[in-house]
Amino acid sequence: MHLRKLKLTSAIVLFVVSFVMVAASQTKSKRYNLRGEVLGKDPATNEIKVKHGDIAGFMPAMTMSFKVKNPRLVQELQPGDKIAAELVVAGDDYWLENVRITDQSGRRTAKAPASPHLLAVGEPVPRLPLTNQDGKTFRLSDFKGKAVLVTFIYTRCPMPTFCPRLSSQFARIHDALKKTPDYYRKTHLLTISFDPKYDKPPVLRKYGLAYLDNDPSGFAHWDFASTTPGDLRQLANAFGLEYIEEDNQISHTMNIVLIAPDGTVARYWSTKWTAAELENALREQATKVGTGSAEAAGRKDRR
Amino acid sequence: MSGRSRTAVFGLGLIAGLAALAGCSWVGDRFADHETRGRALFVLHCADCHEGTYPDLRKPPPKLGGLFQSRTLPGGAPATDAQVRKTIIEGRGTMPAFDQRLSEKDVDDLVKYLRTLK
Repeated sequence: MHLRKLKLTSAIVLFVVSFVMVAASQTKSKRYNLRGEVLGKDPATNEIKVKHGDIAGFMPAMTMSFKVKNPRLVQELQPGDKIAAELVVAGDDYWLENVRITDQSGRRTAKAPASPHLLAVGEPVPRLPLTNQDGKTFRLSDFKGKAVLVTFIYTRCPMPTFCPRLSSQFARIHDALKKTPDYYRKTHLLTISFDPKYDKPPVLRKYGLAYLDNDPSGFAHWDFASTTPGDLRQLANAFGLEYIEEDNQISHTMNIVLIAPDGTVARYWSTKWTAAELENALREQATKVGTGSAEAAGRKDRR
Repeated sequence: MSGRSRTAVFGLGLIAGLAALAGCSWVGDRFADHETRGRALFVLHCADCHEGTYPDLRKPPPKLGGLFQSRTLPGGAPATDAQVRKTIIEGRGTMPAFDQRLSEKDVDDLVKYLRTLK
């Protein structure tokens, strides 16, 4: 009897909560005026971090990240900029619209971004040295003339929806590209470890072979690389990768970067992507590869 | 089981679950028997892959029921304690290595638990 009453109460509570949630989701969007200072930005997610004042009728002054509807604005905004904007709140979602820079003079005094800074689309990739599964040193800029898809993993990652998924989906892309030799020749895959202490070339080779069905010839199209902790930090800053090591486990973000054949950043992905989407974007960049010397000057030189 | 004791069991389960989610080190030495400790380690480190379904993975991780009842492991190596220990520590194929992440005792207890799987 007691249990039946409990079930009935739970059902009523669930119904009321559902009703309130549905009602909330159907609420019209509300707009609030926001003024604040940009502290940072993430072009990969179109978010800016803002230290804002009181938002009358909504929230007190605080520092938090907001999505900006217009990606071009994110590129324009710099840390230190004072802004005025409209905060739009619709149900659980919120974002900034009509963002205006009211004062740029703070740009000089803003904390200097780490070097190299988070690269915007169109900026050239850094020339930092990397060491691949065979112990050979190369640089990202060596791939000029090819479209390159880059991601970051650590070989001991036990989370099936993180590194194992990334490598599995890269393997799927590798298999698909292999069937079209023209695209295979014009593209490259690169997996970079953020665990340089453990992921030495032999470890990376073993890891790579598992995803290449034990065919080492696949390494000519897909490198597994590592670098020094210092250079890794710079690469992470350049591509928006975040990682923290604790007790031999690494908490990290998922980052995929598409590098255009001219050696500039073409696109970023973080969590929402499919292998088909990545492959299509890679093929699209590959169509920009000419048949002339730029391509020949690419990866072949170091093999 | 009465409603009240059912609620108590549910409550204890919830606390244990929340503790695990919060990353509490509940896999300590408080478990006297290795099998129970091994089971807890299995849930923390192995079950996600070996008992879950992940179509995005290159190769589906094998289910481990009856692991030691076969003469060979899913990879073809002999089903011995030494081979299972080696697989846990060094990884195998797309299975990650648990090197430096599990202690000797952890691996011992895990193998003991794996032996009980039917």
